[in-house]
Amino acid sequence: MPPIVSINDLVKTYPGGTRALDGISLDIQRGEFVVLIGLSGSGKSTLLRCINRLVDPTSGTILFDGIDVTTADRAAIRRVRRRIGMIFQQFNLVRRTSVFSNVLSGRLGYRSTWRTIASRPTSSDVAAAFENLGRVGIADRAFSRADALSGGQQQRVGIARALMQKPEVMLADEPVASLDPATSHSVMKYLEEINKKDHITVVCSLHFLSLARRYGTRVVALKAGQVAFDGKPAEIDERRFKEIYGEDAEEVEIGPDRPQPQPLAADGAEQVDPSR
Amino acid sequence: MAEYFTARGLPVPLELRRNPLTDWRRLTVIALVLLVLYIGLKITNIDTGRANPEYVINRIALLFKWDFSIMTPRDEFETYMDTAWWKMIETIFLGIMATAFSFVVALPLSFLGARNIMTGNPITAAIYAVVRVTFTILRSIDVLIVVIVLLAIFGPGNAAGVFGLAFHNIGVMGKLYSEAIEGIDAGPLEAITATGANRLQVVWAAVLPQITNPFISFTIYRLDANVRLAPVLGLVGGGGIGLDLFQSINLSQYGAAGLIIFMIVVTVATMDFVSAQIRKRLV
Repeated sequence: MPPIVSINDLVKTYPGGTRALDGISLDIQRGEFVVLIGLSGSGKSTLLRCINRLVDPTSGTILFDGIDVTTADRAAIRRVRRRIGMIFQQFNLVRRTSVFSNVLSGRLGYRSTWRTIASRPTSSDVAAAFENLGRVGIADRAFSRADALSGGQQQRVGIARALMQKPEVMLADEPVASLDPATSHSVMKYLEEINKKDHITVVCSLHFLSLARRYGTRVVALKAGQVAFDGKPAEIDERRFKEIYGEDAEEVEIGPDRPQPQPLAADGAEQVDPSR
Repeated sequence: MAEYFTARGLPVPLELRRNPLTDWRRLTVIALVLLVLYIGLKITNIDTGRANPEYVINRIALLFKWDFSIMTPRDEFETYMDTAWWKMIETIFLGIMATAFSFVVALPLSFLGARNIMTGNPITAAIYAVVRVTFTILRSIDVLIVVIVLLAIFGPGNAAGVFGLAFHNIGVMGKLYSEAIEGIDAGPLEAITATGANRLQVVWAAVLPQITNPFISFTIYRLDANVRLAPVLGLVGGGGIGLDLFQSINLSQYGAAGLIIFMIVVTVATMDFVSAQIRKRLV
C-alpha cells in the first residue's frame, strides 16, 4: 500500500530566516502511531502544520493519499484538511460556546456556509456529535461552556471535534503538554483507541520519551529541522537519547498508568540535572 | 549618609550630593511654574468681582426654585412637543441615533482595522493602516467643533447634532471594536481552519463568539457617553434640550434652567447605572 502521507525534502524558512525544517523526508503508512520527539524549536509543530498546510512550506512536497498538498488550491486544500483531524496543546476550543457546538464545528468542512450561518446542523451531525462526546466520556457535559471543563476534558472535546471529520489521519501537537501525568495517560489512551479501533493514522508530537515508548509504534526524532532518528521506540538507547536531546539531558520517567510518587517537574527530556 | 562613601574613599552618588533646597533644577522648575501662572492671570484677566458670596448663594437658590410650567405647553402656540420632558426624550434619542449610525459604519470598518485579520499581504496591510489613521483623525476632532462645522451644511437642529456626534463616535467605536478583534485568541481560528472550513465559516464559528460580548459592552458604553454628550449639543445649535437650557439662562429663567439641569443629571445618572449593570453582566 502506498503511504498515506509522503513527505519529500521539506524545507520551511520563516520570515526572519529561521530554518524550522531543513530537508525532511518521511513516509507514514496507514495505521501507524508515529510519535515526533525533539527539543523545543526542533520543528515538530511546523512539520505537523505543513501536513495540513496551516503553514506553507518553503520547498519540497507533501503527498496526502497521492494529493500534492503543497500545490493544491484553496478548495482542494480544504478537502484534504477535512480528512485530517488535529488536536492542540492549548486545546483551541471556542471557550465561550458550549461543548456541543465546539464538537459540531468539526463538521464545518463538509457543510455549506449557509448552514453554518443559519445554525442548522443536520440531524446526522447532531447524532454524531453526541456519539463522539460519548466515546470520550463527556456526553453529560455537552451543554456546559467549554471553558468550564478541566484541561483533560477540554482535550477530549478536541478529540471529539476532530473525530467529527471522520479523519484518516490525526495530527496531535503536544496534546498532553498542558496536562498532569494521570490525565496525560487518559488522553493518550483515547488516541491509542482511535488508532487501533478506527485505524486512524496518528502523528503525535510529545515531550516525554516514556510516553513515546508506551504509545508509539514508531518514533521520529527531529533535531534542528532534520530527522535525527527514525525507528522503533525500543531502539532509543542512552546514546541515541543524548544525540537527540544533547549531552546534558537526562531522561525522566513519567510512569505508565501509576500515580507519581513525587511531584514531577514537568518536562523531563529537556531538563538539566540541577545538582550539577 | 555621604559619610559611608567618604569614609571608604568611594565617590558619593549624585543623589546624595544634591541638597533639595538649593538644587538649581528644582528651583528653576518652581520659578517657571509661578511665572506661567502669573502671566496667565494677567492674560486671562479672571474677574470674580461680581460674585460676592451673598450673590452666589442667591443665584444658586434660584436654580432650585424649579419652574414646572415648562413641563406643559405654556401658551396656545406651544404643543407638548415644546415641553421640557419631550425635549429630554428627544435628546436621549439624539444619543441613541448617533450611536446607531456610528455602529453601522464602525462595525464593518473595524474588521478592516484589525491587525490580525489584515496582515498577510501588502494591500490589506495598507488598508489596515488607512482605516486606523482615519479612526484616529475622527477621534481627535471634538464633537462640538464637528457640530459647528455641520451647521453650515444642515443648519441648526438635530441633524447637525446627530451627525456631529456620530462622526466623532465612529472613530472611538472603530478603535474599540478593532482592538477587541485584535485581542481574540488565535487558537480556535487555527483549529477551525484545520477542519477544512472556509474563511467565512472560520469567522462565524471562531471569531464571532469571541467578539460579541466585547462589542455589546463597548456599544453600551458609547451609548452611555453619547446620551451624556447630547444635552451639550444644543448649546452650539445641535438640537435637543441644551438649546432650552441655554435660552433659559440667557433669559434669566433660573427656575426653568435648574429643572432642566436636574432632568439631565437624572437621565445621565440612570444611563450610567444601567450601562454599568449590563456591562458587568457581560464580562
